[in-house]
Amino acid sequence: MMIRKLENLIIKVGDVDRRVIFVLIGLAVLIPLLTPVSLPIRETPTTVKFYEGIEEIPKGSKVLVSFDYGPSTRPEIHPMNVAVLRHMLRNEHKVYISCLWPDGIYMALDALEDISDEFSLKEYEDYVLLGYRPGAEAVIKGLASDLRKVYTVDANGKFIDDIEMMDNVKNLNDFAYIYSGSAGYPGTFEWVKYGGDPTGVRMSSGTTSVQVNEVIPYVRSGQLIGLLAGMPGAAEYEKLVESPGIAIKGMAAQSFAHIVIVVFIIFGNIAFFLKQKKERKYSK
Amino acid sequence: MTLSTMIGAWIAVFLTLSIFSYLYKDNPFYKIAEHVFVGVSAAYVAAISFWTQIYPNLLGRLFPKDGPLSFTGLEFDFNHSFNILYIFPLLLGLMMILSVFQKFNWMARWGIAYTVAIAAGLKAFGYLNSNVLNQVSASVVSLFGENLPFFNISGDSVFNNIVLLLGTISSLMYFYFSKEQRGNFGKLTRVGIYFLMISFGASFGFAVMGRISLLVGRFRELIAYSEPSYNYSTIWLLFLIIAFLFYHSIREKESNT
Repeated sequence: MMIRKLENLIIKVGDVDRRVIFVLIGLAVLIPLLTPVSLPIRETPTTVKFYEGIEEIPKGSKVLVSFDYGPSTRPEIHPMNVAVLRHMLRNEHKVYISCLWPDGIYMALDALEDISDEFSLKEYEDYVLLGYRPGAEAVIKGLASDLRKVYTVDANGKFIDDIEMMDNVKNLNDFAYIYSGSAGYPGTFEWVKYGGDPTGVRMSSGTTSVQVNEVIPYVRSGQLIGLLAGMPGAAEYEKLVESPGIAIKGMAAQSFAHIVIVVFIIFGNIAFFLKQKKERKYSK
Repeated sequence: MTLSTMIGAWIAVFLTLSIFSYLYKDNPFYKIAEHVFVGVSAAYVAAISFWTQIYPNLLGRLFPKDGPLSFTGLEFDFNHSFNILYIFPLLLGLMMILSVFQKFNWMARWGIAYTVAIAAGLKAFGYLNSNVLNQVSASVVSLFGENLPFFNISGDSVFNNIVLLLGTISSLMYFYFSKEQRGNFGKLTRVGIYFLMISFGASFGFAVMGRISLLVGRFRELIAYSEPSYNYSTIWLLFLIIAFLFYHSIREKESNT
């Protein structure tokens, strides 16, 4: 009797309106954000590899950072890009910022503003904001052969030839490292194919979670030196560079939402099988 | 706080909640947000492409200061010298625009053909080099390499190398259709299916994780904009949208009956 009641309850849960699931997931995300919970974060090997890759760059090197995302994927990529900039500036690298996405330039400006006071950033001394150019892989191919054919002026409209930091920067080979914070096309795949692989310049990337499965083979093959995988990757990296930020704060909400989803998947499957069993029983 | 920041916050909250309202059902708020997004995105990309690429890199090279075409009155000073080759992208671009006229739309094919050919050539080389050759060479591993532990969950190990070998071969064999998948060959391809299923499962897990991360980001902004400094924009707009949807659903029920 008791078991039958439980079975009926599970079948009922399986038939629940999808909007109830939306509300529960919403609450699972909202509550940890309103009342912060601290959960332990363990670094994955790809994140550690990424961190060590940046540590290995000789101090004061020229590094190219590409902002290949927009507001829609900002929660995943922005925290890691801020942490990467922080790490690079801490190691006294000269940062050159390009964007393959039109709104990447605003993401770059936001990231620079976040760390501006911490490093007393000076444009054209610490960094150059090259800005956005349309053309996706054609832009990367252009940068690999002649940067000045792609960038005549920087994001402020200043002539590239008039910028002292751009002296001796002719193409991608003049950079010690390439990093792409990527949310899709154009992004990591294009940088690997037309930037990192043909020039041999060491590169790494931070991607959205959706892309991780496709990008991770590049790490094993050595085409990427580590990888920051979505918000968890950003949180792990924030921990490694010892500057806890919004990624770490968001991980509790992420974990609770996952628990709700897993519970619903389990209940949904049990309900499905129980329903089938019941239908078989009454069809006999 | 400036007025523009305040207005921006209210617009951001309104558009976010309008998009979320689709989870209830299709409604006018969602439609407004969707149309605004498409329109603004298209206009923004067009404007930024013109001012950052066509203006300095194309016009700047065809009509440089004191160039041979200065007599036209068009001069764009971007430190470039005159380059006649840039006339081709200009012509191909103009031909593509002509597709809006029925009589000249055949011209657009030239521009499209050029773009497709260039893209195909670029992608073929990049794909072959990075995704085929480099990946094939990365999958060639020494199964029992020196000092390799038998098992290591996160690093190189004999066990992981065997999994890599088995996974690669069995998954590739699944896509070999010249032999019927029966007997021992069938068993091998079945193993391949399991590897593929694990891969799809991981992709699904990562996709869920990504969507939740985006939800975390939106909620964080909604929480920030619900503060007194933003005049409780989230709370007011949430109330307004819910009230409208409630009223809308009652009207809909009445009209159905």
